[in-house]
Amino acid sequence: MKNLSIIIIIFMASIITACNSDSNVVVVYTSVDQVFSEPVLKAFEKETGIKIKAIYDTEETKSTGVLNRLLAERNNTQCDVFWSGDPVRTIVLKNYDIIQPYNSEMAKGIDATFKDADAYWTGFSARARVLIYNKDILSRADVPQSIFDLVKEQYKGNVAIANPLFGTTTFHISAIFDALGDDRAKQFMMDLKTNEVIIATSNGDVKKRVMQGQVACGLTDTDDAYEAMKESDRVDIVFLDQGGIGSLIMPNTVNLMKNSPNAENGKKLIDYLLSKDTESRLAISCAQMPLHKGVETPQDITSLDNIKPMSIDYGKTANKLQEIQLYLKNWVENN
Amino acid sequence: MDSIKPINIKNGSNSLLGFNSLLFVIYGLFIIFIGLPIIYTFGTVLFENDLSNSFKLLNNATFSLLFKSLILASSVGIISTFFGTILGFLLYKTNLKLRSFYKIVLLIPLFISPYILAVAWKDFFFFLFGNSSLISSYFGVIMVLSLIFIPLAMLIIGSALSNIDSQIEESALMLVSFKKMVFSIILPLIKPALITSFVLIFIFSISEFSVPAFFGVKVFTTEIFTQFSAFYNHSLAIIQSTLLIAICIILLYAERKYIADAPFLSVGSKGTNNKLYDIINYRKLGQLFLIVWLFISIVLPFIILFAQSFKGGMDSFIRAYDLLLPTFVNSIFLAFMAAIISVFIGFIAAYFSIKRSKIYKSFEWFLLLVFAIPSTIYGISLIKFYNQPELSFIYSTSAIIIIGYVGKYTFISAKLISNAIKQIPNSIDEVSQIQGIPIFSRLTKILIPIILPTIFIAFIISFIFSLGELGTTIMLYPPGTEIMPIKVFTIMANAPQALISSMTLIVFSVTLLMISIFYFMLNPFIKKYHSIND
Repeated sequence: MKNLSIIIIIFMASIITACNSDSNVVVVYTSVDQVFSEPVLKAFEKETGIKIKAIYDTEETKSTGVLNRLLAERNNTQCDVFWSGDPVRTIVLKNYDIIQPYNSEMAKGIDATFKDADAYWTGFSARARVLIYNKDILSRADVPQSIFDLVKEQYKGNVAIANPLFGTTTFHISAIFDALGDDRAKQFMMDLKTNEVIIATSNGDVKKRVMQGQVACGLTDTDDAYEAMKESDRVDIVFLDQGGIGSLIMPNTVNLMKNSPNAENGKKLIDYLLSKDTESRLAISCAQMPLHKGVETPQDITSLDNIKPMSIDYGKTANKLQEIQLYLKNWVENN
Repeated sequence: MDSIKPINIKNGSNSLLGFNSLLFVIYGLFIIFIGLPIIYTFGTVLFENDLSNSFKLLNNATFSLLFKSLILASSVGIISTFFGTILGFLLYKTNLKLRSFYKIVLLIPLFISPYILAVAWKDFFFFLFGNSSLISSYFGVIMVLSLIFIPLAMLIIGSALSNIDSQIEESALMLVSFKKMVFSIILPLIKPALITSFVLIFIFSISEFSVPAFFGVKVFTTEIFTQFSAFYNHSLAIIQSTLLIAICIILLYAERKYIADAPFLSVGSKGTNNKLYDIINYRKLGQLFLIVWLFISIVLPFIILFAQSFKGGMDSFIRAYDLLLPTFVNSIFLAFMAAIISVFIGFIAAYFSIKRSKIYKSFEWFLLLVFAIPSTIYGISLIKFYNQPELSFIYSTSAIIIIGYVGKYTFISAKLISNAIKQIPNSIDEVSQIQGIPIFSRLTKILIPIILPTIFIAFIISFIFSLGELGTTIMLYPPGTEIMPIKVFTIMANAPQALISSMTLIVFSVTLLMISIFYFMLNPFIKKYHSIND
C-alpha cells in the first residue's frame, strides 16, 4: 500500500507540468487559418522576443470553436488578443462586453469604415466574397456576374454555397439582407432554394466541389479561391455585382480582451498585426487585400481600389445576423 | 493438516479497510475532478433557466430528430457487433494464418479520425461514380461509422472469446456439433461482451457529430452543435444534451436488467486456456473474408489517402512531418498517462461495483454519464469549473487535458473489465478469502492475472481514443500546447489536400507504431502471468 501510494504521488507530480514562468508572453486566439496566421505570429515572436502562445480554429468547428472558448472563459480570460477573420465574431464579443478599446497608432492609415467607432476593434487585410467557377464547365461568357444570376435556370443544381449558419457565408447573407431589405432578401433565398442550390459544409468544401467539377460554381472567400487556383488551373474567380451592389469586403479584425493577462504585450501584437508589413505578408500568403495605402502586393492580387465594395455598416450587419439566424436555420433544414 | 494455514482475520480486516478507504478516495477524487464540473454546469443551466423553455424543446421536430439518431446509432451498433463477432471469432478462436498481423492491422480505422475517413470515402465514391450523392446520406454515415467501430467490437468480443474456459468447449464438443456449440454455448457465454459492444458503439455513434455534419445528414448532435456555434446558446445546447444522456442511461439500465442474473461464468478454476479451432472446411473462406475485409476497411481508404498525398510529392510528407514532429512526444505522453489512469480507475470501479454494495455501483453510472456527454459540452463544463485563478495550476497545464481524456474514456475501461470479472466464478475469490489472503494479494495475484488480456485491451482502446480525441481537447488545450489531432485539424483549414493526407498518414503511422510497441513489449508478460498454476 505504501509503495502504491508513493507511485501514485510520483505519477501525479509527473502529470502536472509546471506553469510556464515566462512573463514575456502574449496569448492570442485566432480564427484565421493557421497556415496563414502562424507565420505572421512567428515573425512577431522573432522580431520582438515576446513568446506567442496561440489557439487556432479548426475546419470542423467552422471558425466558431475559438469564439465559443472565449465566451466560456469570459469570467477569467486567458486570452490577450483575438484575431478574427471577419468583424462578425469580434462584434459578438463586443456585445458580450468582453473586449476593451485600444486605439493603435498603426490604425491611423486605415479607413474609418473598417474600424469600430469606439476603437473596440480594427480591421486590416481584407478578403472578399467571390464566385469561383470551373472553366471546363462554364465559359467566361456564361459565368454569372451577379449574385442574383445564381437563381437563373441555366445554373440550376450547379451552384454551391457553404452552410449559411456558419462562417463568412452567414456574414454574406446578412449583408444581403442589410442591402436589400428583408422581403427582397427572403425572396432571393427562396429562389436559390427553388434553383436547387447545393449546401456544402464549408468554403473549403465549395472550393473542392468546384475544382472536382461536381458543381459549376460556388461562393467562397478570396483566400480559398486563390488556394484553389494554385492547386488547379481548371478554376477561376469573379468579383460579383461590380455593376450593382458590389462585393462584400471582409477585413480581418483584431481586438484587445478585457482583463487580458498580458495587456501591454497584447497592444504590441495588435500594433504589429496592423502594420503594413503584416498586410504585405498576408497579401503574399493568402491574397488578402491591404487596407493601408502603398503596401507592396503581388501583381496577381486584386487591389481594393479596383473592387466595388458592398456599402454596409459592419456593426449593423453583425446585429442583422443575430436577427436572421433562426430564419437561416429553417432555410437550411427545409432545403 | 500441515497444509491448512491459520487464518489471520485481523490482517484481513485491516487490508480490507485499507482498500475500502482507497476506493472511497478514488471515487471521491473522480467526483471532485470530473463530476463536479459537470454537475455545476448542468445545475446552473437548469436552475438559471425557466424550465418552460426546456419543455418547448419537446416538440415533434426534436423527437423526430432524436428518433432518426436512435435508428442510425442502433444500425451502426448492430452492424458493428455482427461483423465484430465474425472477426473476433476468426482471429481469436481459429488457427488461421497471420492472425497476429490481422489483429493489429484491422484496428487501423480506430487510429484515424472519423472526419478524415469520411473525406477519403467521399472522394472514393466521387472517383467511382462521378458524384458523391450516394454516400452523402444516412447510408454513408452508417457505412463509415460501422467501418470505424467494427475493430472496437472485434477487440471487445475477441477478448471475451479468449477468456472462455476450454474445458467447457471440450465438454460440449463431446455431446454436440461444433455449430451447435457455437450458437448454444459460446455466443450465450459472451453475451455481456456482445451487449457491451453494442452499447459502447451506440453511444459513440449517437454522440458523433463530424461524420453526419460532413455528409450533410441532420442528426441530433448537429442540432446541438448548431445551437452552440451558430446561436451561441450554450444553455440550450446543454439542455438538449441531457436528452442524449438520458437515452444512454436508459440503455445501460436495460442492459443491467437483462444480463444481471444470467450465468456467464466461463473462466474455470484453472484459469483460461484459449482453445483454437482448426476450421478445415472453412479455412479458405475465413482467409478470404479477412482479406476482403482488410481491402474494404483499410486498403481502399488508404489508396485514396496515398493518392492525395503523392499529388504533392515528397515535399508534402516532409512538410507534414515538420509540422507534426513537435506534437509527438506530448501527445503520446498525455494519451499514455490518461490510458493508465483510465484503466486503474476503471478496474476499481468495475471490481467494487460487482463485489460491493449499491453505493459503489453508482460509480459505473457516473462514468457512463460523463462518457455520454457530447465532447464540446464536456469541454465547456471543465472550462467553467477550472478556469479560476486558484485552479490555474490545472487549467493552464496539460493536467486539464488528461482530466478531459480520463473523464471521457474511463467508462470503456470499466465496462470491459467488468465483463471480464463477471466471467470469473465467485468461488475463486471466496476460496482465497477463506485462506485469509489479503485483498491486495487476491487482486494482484489471482484476479488481475486472469483478466490481464482484457486490461491490456482496455488500455489500448483508451490510448487510441485519447490520442485521437478532438472535441473536448480543442476546448481545453493550453495556448501554445502542441497536440497531434489539433494540429491536423487546424492545419486542415485551407491547406492543400496533399498536406492533410500526408499528416493523416503520419498520425496513423505513429499510432500503429505505438500499438505495436505496446503489443510486443507486453504480450510475453501477459502470456506469462495470464494462466493460473495448479
